[in-house]
Amino acid sequence: MSLDTEAVQQQPATAAQPEGAPQEWEPRIVGFACNWCTYAGADLAGLSRLQYPPSIRLIRVPCSGRVNPQFVIRAFQRGADGVLVAGCHPGDCHYSTGNYFTRRRFLLMQNMLQYMGMDPRRFQARWISGSEGPKFQQVITQMTEDIKALGPNRKMRDVE
Amino acid sequence: MITEKMRDVAKDLLTKGEVNMVIGWEKGTFWYNSTPVFITKAEDVERLVFDEFCTNNLAKYLLDYKTAEGKVAIFVKGCDARAVNRLMQDQQVQRDKVYLLGIPCGGMKEAAPGTQPQATEGLPLVEKCQNCTSPNPVVFDVLLGDQVSVRDTQNRFAAVEKLEALGTDEKYAYWGEMFDKCIRCYACRNVCPACSCRECAFDGNGLNWLGKQNNLQENQMFNITRAMHVAGRCIECGECERVCPMDLPLMAINRKVIKDLNELFGAYEAGMDVENRPPLGQFKLEDPEKFM
Amino acid sequence: MRKVGVFVCHCGSNIAGTVDVEKVAQEAAKFPNVVFATDYKYMCSEPGQQVIKDAIKEHNLDRVVVASCSPRMHEPTFRRCIQTGGLNPYLLEMANIREHCSWVHPDKAKGTVKAIDLVRKAAAKVVKNEPLQKSSINITKRALVIGGGIAGIQVALDIADAGFPVTIVEKEPTIGGRMAQIDKTFPTLDCSACILTPKMVDAAQHPNIEIISYAEVDKVEGYVGNFDITIRKKARSVDMNKCTGCGTCWEKCPTKVDSEFDMQLGKRKAIYTPFPQAVPNKPVIDREHCLKFKTGKCGICEKVCPTGAVDFTMEDELITQQYGAIVVATGFDQFDHSVYGEYGYGKYPDVITGLHFERLVNASGPTMGKIKRPSDHKVPETVVFIKCVGSRDEAKGKTYCSRTCCMYTAKHATLMAEKVKGSKSYIFYMDVRTPGKGYEEFYKRTQGEYGAQYIRGRVSKVYPKGDKLVVRGEDSLLGRPVEIEADMVVLASAMVARSDAGDLARTLGISYDKDNFFTEAHPKLRPVETHTAGVFLAGACQGPKDIPDSVAQAGAAAAKAIGLLAKSQMETEATVSQVDESRCSGCLLCKSICPYKAIDVKIIAERVGGKTVERQVASVNKSLCQGCGACTVACRAGSLNLLGFTNEQILAEVEAVCL
Repeated sequence: MSLDTEAVQQQPATAAQPEGAPQEWEPRIVGFACNWCTYAGADLAGLSRLQYPPSIRLIRVPCSGRVNPQFVIRAFQRGADGVLVAGCHPGDCHYSTGNYFTRRRFLLMQNMLQYMGMDPRRFQARWISGSEGPKFQQVITQMTEDIKALGPNRKMRDVE
Repeated sequence: MITEKMRDVAKDLLTKGEVNMVIGWEKGTFWYNSTPVFITKAEDVERLVFDEFCTNNLAKYLLDYKTAEGKVAIFVKGCDARAVNRLMQDQQVQRDKVYLLGIPCGGMKEAAPGTQPQATEGLPLVEKCQNCTSPNPVVFDVLLGDQVSVRDTQNRFAAVEKLEALGTDEKYAYWGEMFDKCIRCYACRNVCPACSCRECAFDGNGLNWLGKQNNLQENQMFNITRAMHVAGRCIECGECERVCPMDLPLMAINRKVIKDLNELFGAYEAGMDVENRPPLGQFKLEDPEKFM
Repeated sequence: MRKVGVFVCHCGSNIAGTVDVEKVAQEAAKFPNVVFATDYKYMCSEPGQQVIKDAIKEHNLDRVVVASCSPRMHEPTFRRCIQTGGLNPYLLEMANIREHCSWVHPDKAKGTVKAIDLVRKAAAKVVKNEPLQKSSINITKRALVIGGGIAGIQVALDIADAGFPVTIVEKEPTIGGRMAQIDKTFPTLDCSACILTPKMVDAAQHPNIEIISYAEVDKVEGYVGNFDITIRKKARSVDMNKCTGCGTCWEKCPTKVDSEFDMQLGKRKAIYTPFPQAVPNKPVIDREHCLKFKTGKCGICEKVCPTGAVDFTMEDELITQQYGAIVVATGFDQFDHSVYGEYGYGKYPDVITGLHFERLVNASGPTMGKIKRPSDHKVPETVVFIKCVGSRDEAKGKTYCSRTCCMYTAKHATLMAEKVKGSKSYIFYMDVRTPGKGYEEFYKRTQGEYGAQYIRGRVSKVYPKGDKLVVRGEDSLLGRPVEIEADMVVLASAMVARSDAGDLARTLGISYDKDNFFTEAHPKLRPVETHTAGVFLAGACQGPKDIPDSVAQAGAAAAKAIGLLAKSQMETEATVSQVDESRCSGCLLCKSICPYKAIDVKIIAERVGGKTVERQVASVNKSLCQGCGACTVACRAGSLNLLGFTNEQILAEVEAVCL
């Protein structure tokens, strides 16, 4: 990567905190990102220096269709405050059809989690393409804000 | 009378050697229960009965005879027949290895232990039959008795809707209370005709999908995963709920999935045929796009 | 215990500017299984890679984590690095602490916390990595071209010229396709047959090309590099080896049938070649109409044939052959415009389609090139052309633009003006689209020099009045109704996918769009490939195209096929699905959702209760599997796992980032 990237104008940091103020609580969001679209979109957000909260931890998978619903539950069990599954837009799947199965599976899963008493804002699925760096930034920012409003997740959680 | 016909046809099949076994029901210890029976000799056919207490779905027993020589005959009510289709769709049962004896079913009843007098009139239908959508077998080789009409099923999703109306935390509290009771005996799984894996994801010493602790979190994981695994494959026979020793409202989970699948991806009833794949195994380009 | 080494890159100040890289390395050293951790200014540089290689030796590392930029950028670099350092390249994981961390989180404290998490995640995964191997498969150096139109012929010639044997399978008795039916080509007005037939002959005479006409692809098994293809040669009733194509049989044949080639405007015999320049120029017997087959009598052709080539007992023949690549070039059909009842097609004989017009104007057509209308053979003076019949019509037709109609309608109007002096052409249009070299100029000439009158608007009704057809429509530019008394009406009907395109797609395992056109792997970057490796697309089977576009695409598809055939072996993915047969119950749900037909059923035998029983399990073809992992989630029991992204690895990552 070229080294003149430092010349790219840094955006002002959001709400710099005064010295000694208590650290603001940062939610922990586990994101499953397909290699071909969303992971690339997140890379593009980086290349474009688009800032977003440091809440997201992306796990790279080949396709959003690789994401097993049990991964999602496990994340909540182990202390995630939110989970995001993200992949290529319908029709753009690198493997042609994977994300159509994802779409069905996680629509159902989201309803199920809601039925079990989980706030739907804590589990989201999104289509973010390799060219949608700004969308990646916006999705993470929005989801972080939503979860901050909800506070730390205690549901399904088996760790303190 | 169905019982007479059952015995005749069973006797005929066994005598001619067309099948090596007939799976049906016989009278249990009490007048209000009828239990599964496995008949291999023509002289034993008199044990067979069909009455309002033949609640057990027999289809899953076919898995025990997967590798047996010859054919097995099995009596199927509406739900048993759908269960057989399910197992055939999962390629666990071959159509030419079973002889299906269909029985249109008016619904099963239950009596509290010790109920007297010994009369079936006035007894309530068991929960799983109250909103049965397919009392008539959807697949059979012979049909014993006349087709029955489908009962009013408008309350099929009543329990689900009641739970859906609760607030987020109320739902969590309700299910927390339920899953706290779960002892993870896996009876629900063992009886389920959609659970046909050789080795369940929850068993074995490979990957620990599920912790061995019996606590709320692992019970939640178990029950949600089970619901996802049978999604689009549950035939609503209600056996899981019937066999649950802790009386968990498992059908309120299964029916939630059925309701959602139907609303999201179009009407689908599992086990009505072998061809139409379960909704999570297919897709349409125009499926709802709620994620964007 | 594993011995993991962690290497944290500064990337100059790209990472080190906002992440405390030393602290990341210090924390990483404390992770389970990590025996060595360090940081370096540029990990991807030569000295940086040397740091890794040295550490592998010095600390006896068996796994490596590089915390730097995106794996999409440098994963191949570091895989090569550890491979030269003596490790299997798949024993590497990368933590993306640049694109996903230092560049987006300016708060150094928070960024450092996240970077440590990302390294922990990579370290947790890498201990579960296993050495993986790419496998390779041999490639059969032979190509199959399905469809012998201009696209298929071009593909075959290009591949054959590159030195590889090619088979063209053509459904009709002759190659040539739609282009053979066309009279002149726009915008140059050169004669279609004059440029096509030499190519047909080239194909027939090329030592590397085999033409199997009157045949279809029956079955496709196997995979890229090694397709086993069964071709059904339909019973021709004529022995191709004996026949010389002398033509005595079709001269003497007493049965006349409407000619498909002439769009039912002319006649052919029951034993026939579709047109005089057919390749191969040997006839077939149309058994549906042949008297011998219908009544058992006749048999004149057999009697007159000087070589004894006619064989009424011939049956369909199946031949199976192995191919390395397949190019699909099956072309298009014409839209069934009978849905436009208001245009009167089928009701009035003088309402015809563009392809009919091509035959009427063609010197070897049923009218010997004299434009005569079908009903009374009168030469039409006034002709109305209606464009977009079926195209760009969401309600009754197709949503897309057929791309060719604007130009061929202009061509037809030009030909009218040239052939029938003093005639008048009216063209009803929605838009005029001329995006090709010389196309706009041609259209302008049609309007100016040749005096065609363009009327912007739709036609609402065509009805007869005496021996005329009244075309009623609207001129939407002038905002008033128009009525034209025409001698003939020509409909520019849409190009649609072949009616059996869906069947062929299923046979080949390729996808098709809502209109049944075959889908390319990527609309921009992989326009001639399909999602099925080794299957390529050429011509209008992928979407409406004119001749130049079809030929260009054919060349591209040929290049792709040649690229594949030029290799003697092909490497396959290392990250493929794997079946745990002991767990697999053989439900095969995985098979039905695999987009690559990579999963098949396999019968295994095992001992159960003292006897041997057979049961079915899923089996993954490593050459076909592309590693998407869809099957792994469909499998409830978890019998399928994706190497490189196993359930164990992903769960370990989840646990590591949630800690």
